[in-house]
Amino acid sequence: MNDEEPILRVRNLSKTYMQGKIPVHALSDVSFDVQKGEFLSIVGPSGSGKSTFLSMIGLLDKPTGGSVFIDGIEVTKASDGEAPIIRREKIGFVFQHFNLIPTLTALENVDIAMRFARVPKSRRRERAVELLTQMGLRDRMNHKPSELSGGEQQRVAIARAMANYPAIILADEPTGEVDTKTRDMIVSLLKELAEKGQTILIVTHDTAVSARTNRVITMRDGMIASDTKVVGGQ
Amino acid sequence: MFDLIIKNITQRKLRTGLTVFGIALGIFAVIVMGGMSEHFNLTFDRSMSLTADKIRVLPEGGFGGGNLNDSKVREVKRVPGVSDAYGLLEAPLDPESLGMFGGDMVIGIPPEKQELAMKDTKLTEGRFLVTGDSYRAVLGSSVAREFNLKVGDELEVKSKRVARAGTITHTRNFTVVGILEYTGSFFDNAVQVPLDRAQKFFDRGDTVSLILAVPDPNADPEDLTKRIELNVEKVKAFSPAELRKQIEQSLVVFSLITISAAVLAAIIGGLSVMNTMLMSVSERTKEFGLMKALGAETRDILFMTMGEAALMGILGGILGIIGGGALVYYLNDYLASKGATLFTITPRLLLISIVFSTLLGVISGMYPAYRAAKMSPMEALRYE
Repeated sequence: MNDEEPILRVRNLSKTYMQGKIPVHALSDVSFDVQKGEFLSIVGPSGSGKSTFLSMIGLLDKPTGGSVFIDGIEVTKASDGEAPIIRREKIGFVFQHFNLIPTLTALENVDIAMRFARVPKSRRRERAVELLTQMGLRDRMNHKPSELSGGEQQRVAIARAMANYPAIILADEPTGEVDTKTRDMIVSLLKELAEKGQTILIVTHDTAVSARTNRVITMRDGMIASDTKVVGGQ
Repeated sequence: MFDLIIKNITQRKLRTGLTVFGIALGIFAVIVMGGMSEHFNLTFDRSMSLTADKIRVLPEGGFGGGNLNDSKVREVKRVPGVSDAYGLLEAPLDPESLGMFGGDMVIGIPPEKQELAMKDTKLTEGRFLVTGDSYRAVLGSSVAREFNLKVGDELEVKSKRVARAGTITHTRNFTVVGILEYTGSFFDNAVQVPLDRAQKFFDRGDTVSLILAVPDPNADPEDLTKRIELNVEKVKAFSPAELRKQIEQSLVVFSLITISAAVLAAIIGGLSVMNTMLMSVSERTKEFGLMKALGAETRDILFMTMGEAALMGILGGILGIIGGGALVYYLNDYLASKGATLFTITPRLLLISIVFSTLLGVISGMYPAYRAAKMSPMEALRYE
């Protein structure tokens, strides 16, 4: 942790949906900062607003109020044309269901994130090989998702999220689809990345996962109920 | 991105194959029908270029409207501005089997005018007609091929005469003295014989079917055409420009009918591309949402989906051209043995076919691509 400009700054973030004629406040006035290299988890019961919150930061949905700054850029003001550029340059996504493209190999799934960022082909391949090697998947690079285990698929997804050197990785229930052994391995991997300076924000139900992060934000009814620093993490 | 496009369309082989086949059938129709239209246009153009410098003089009621006799030829020749004029007699080579597309013709021509009439056309064998020739013939290339004739061979010509109890068919052998090179015009299907022998054999007295008038180099063909009509009674004269206009009008109608049928077939192929792409986009909703989450821009998704549709169009176009080309080749080969040619595949037709099939793919892919590109990434990611 350091005293530099926060990598993520959230100010008074709100999201209200209309359910028929009734407004539903999914997020109300959420504010907090995340420093570079933090390994942070957001926990809370279903409907507490944590996934909505992740969508706002990831520019997958627009808030009804407040602002989000990533790496000094106010992403909530991004136009439809700017949003994809911010997504690919500043954010890496890891999803619960892995969301790998079934027709592409592991290598190609990592490569595709860099394609959209217009990275030259030779550099893309080099980077994809480097990341998959780092994830322990060097021998599985040319396999399609259907030929990989859940843990392997999620590691490919993490490699893909890392591909464009994002300011922050947003992981939505990244261990929701794997067994406990794989879960522990994935959390260890993310923790290792955070220790190397990668900022990671995880949304999770699993207390065994949040317990290993450095900071836990608990949400309830669209608001922050608690924000706890976990000294050392496990 | 191109490798992704190829990967996507080869992923669903049967569906892609059927769609490409649909487009291919459409382009096949464009090639076959267009080839026919192109052939008629080209034959007309080449025939016109051989006779474009001459004014045609017909009986007042057209070809069936009476006869022109030799005196009319002299009258036309006397019109100021006409440097030369000669009559032609036209008759079917075999009146008992007139083909759908006119069949072969016998043209009676004054022997001394033949070389002039054929302009720069060369002979592959033998000589042109000369004054004093009797039952001699110069064959067009298609006739020579159809009957497998060489210089020195005999060609049987038939004529039908009306008699009290019906018609009597006469036959007569003409000796081949020359064979013309391929011209791409109706002269390829013509047997040119001396005019006086043709008049005698077809029992036409001293009449001719039409008169060709050669204008003086300084004369304006349009003015001269009017002058011929004023000076010679009971004739209708056509300047080369007017003739071209009249024939072009009827060719346009023919082209419109053939091309419309082909375009309709191709559009049906286009609809199959749209159907396939809509299914594909719907199946890959989550994939597009993911790509957007990974930073794909609208244009990336558009390029990818429209690229798939365009590639299917191009593949269909190539297959259609190969299929249509093969059919046209074999049909032409078969028809050539019967003395006719029906199709010509021109570079213009090939270009139109491939551009058309690509555009068909692109246009059919536009709506599915737009749907894919406009998806909200969040909704697409939630889609199951």
